[in-house]
Amino acid sequence: MRVPKRPIWTGTITIGLVNVPVKLYRMIFDRGFSFRFLHKQDSQPLKYQKVCIKDNTVVPWEDIVRGYEVSKNEFVVFTKEELEAAKPESDRRIRLNKFVDFYSIDPLHFESSYILAPDKNPEAYTLLLKALEKTEKAAAGTITLRTKEYPAIVQAHKGVLILNTLRYSYEVADPSRLDELKQLKEPSKDELDLAAKIVEDLSGEFNIEEYKDAYKQRVEELIEKKLKGETIVIEKPEVKEEAKELMVALKQTLEQLKKK
Amino acid sequence: MTRELTKVEFTNLKKVMYPALKATKAQIIEYYIKIAPKMLHALANRPLVLTRFPEGVEKEGFYEKDAPQGTPEWVKTFTRYSETANRNIHYIVCNDLDTLLWLANLAALEIHMTLSSADSFLKPDLVLFDLDPKSPATFGDAVKIALQLKQELDALGLRSFVKTSGKKGLHVIIPIVQRYTFQQTRTFARDIGTKLEKQSSLITSEFSRRPKPGVVFMDYLQNSHGKTMACPYSLRATPQATVSTPLEWSQLKKGLKPEDFNMFSVVLIEKEPWKGFSDVKQDLEVNSK
Repeated sequence: MRVPKRPIWTGTITIGLVNVPVKLYRMIFDRGFSFRFLHKQDSQPLKYQKVCIKDNTVVPWEDIVRGYEVSKNEFVVFTKEELEAAKPESDRRIRLNKFVDFYSIDPLHFESSYILAPDKNPEAYTLLLKALEKTEKAAAGTITLRTKEYPAIVQAHKGVLILNTLRYSYEVADPSRLDELKQLKEPSKDELDLAAKIVEDLSGEFNIEEYKDAYKQRVEELIEKKLKGETIVIEKPEVKEEAKELMVALKQTLEQLKKK
Repeated sequence: MTRELTKVEFTNLKKVMYPALKATKAQIIEYYIKIAPKMLHALANRPLVLTRFPEGVEKEGFYEKDAPQGTPEWVKTFTRYSETANRNIHYIVCNDLDTLLWLANLAALEIHMTLSSADSFLKPDLVLFDLDPKSPATFGDAVKIALQLKQELDALGLRSFVKTSGKKGLHVIIPIVQRYTFQQTRTFARDIGTKLEKQSSLITSEFSRRPKPGVVFMDYLQNSHGKTMACPYSLRATPQATVSTPLEWSQLKKGLKPEDFNMFSVVLIEKEPWKGFSDVKQDLEVNSK
């Protein structure tokens, strides 16, 4: 598992008149695969360019504005400055105003998790942590991250404070409005008994370690295999004269450092 | 297929950085390459502050605490909230050759380090005696004071290390265990300073009045968190490309000239006077009884 490098946000938890300075670290990391696009002929990396649909010219960054598509092919245009001015002000505060039962929150509303670490005043942090542990409550409130204000819940988890951003109720679909779900038939008693027996037979403890991403493993194996065989090396522009001398010195130093 | 020797891509190698010596950036990088084996251990895990001179030492340089934009992901940093700046500062930490060379390529001629390491920022592991001769006091006077200071520290059973500041003065350093606060190391340095002051009219460690001319100023207040000193073997932005050079105590005698130690001469020295420096961890109070 990885350790987050830098806090993504610093600020203060405020509960009434109490302030707890904190740093926020990412807790969730998506571990998929990322490939780079290469040119088939010579395996050199490709880069993105923004191209005008009308005349196929490459548009430089400074000539790009943003458009909100009001209806098909009809845009309201914004400059970067206009959007900047409209951004909510992140006042670097996590405002908590209610203590609740953590498990009363519908897991469907959980968006992402962040580690809260103490900043400057660890005593205040520990006090909040211990108070939540003792009362077995979580604290609810709000946080503004980048351009969005989130409902947030702060809980004590294995000796640290974890902040979860939540989704607003309107961000979660209401399943009862799906047609397929409107007229569900009741199963017969026999069917239900049988199904319940299967469930019982397969009951166990949930352990996340049992789950592995099979596609990821297969690609990793393929990478290993390809590494043993032929790989493509990206050609670097040739090293200039002066740099060559440095490389000689560098080789010596690297050897010396190896001996140390 | 040549294996890459460094992650750093060197740029502007022909740019003249020390015009008086016609020394180019390539030569500066070469200096740091050659000195790295002696230098890196002393920098390890310390938050660094840079003085960068992108246009060479004759043009204005700038101080840089926060890792600049475009800092590669492989460069380690140490994040600390700064009350004065009211934001997080991402100090650069240099634990490997690549980072050192990246700094050299940034024209970070002067590399300064804190007296505490990133893992214990508020508990220093070095005590610094910064001996700064105020004209007409000379480097020779700083040498005299440094030798007196060494006697004093020897009597307390403390091993000390000396280097030129690279400018006019000397730095005397005691590596200690990470147990004391800066207030404690400051008091320790001030007490020693006051004691020496009584022995010699040549020295002052007084902070409240301006250092008198003609004395060696021993600035005990340097022992504070966030304060930095030039790293051992850091180049300085002087016309002669002087180096803050670690010395053996036996080298400290009449006639020693700090300007003899520059980017070209220091790499020729075979000795490593500060060998083992990073492994010394001394106890202040036990020794002082």
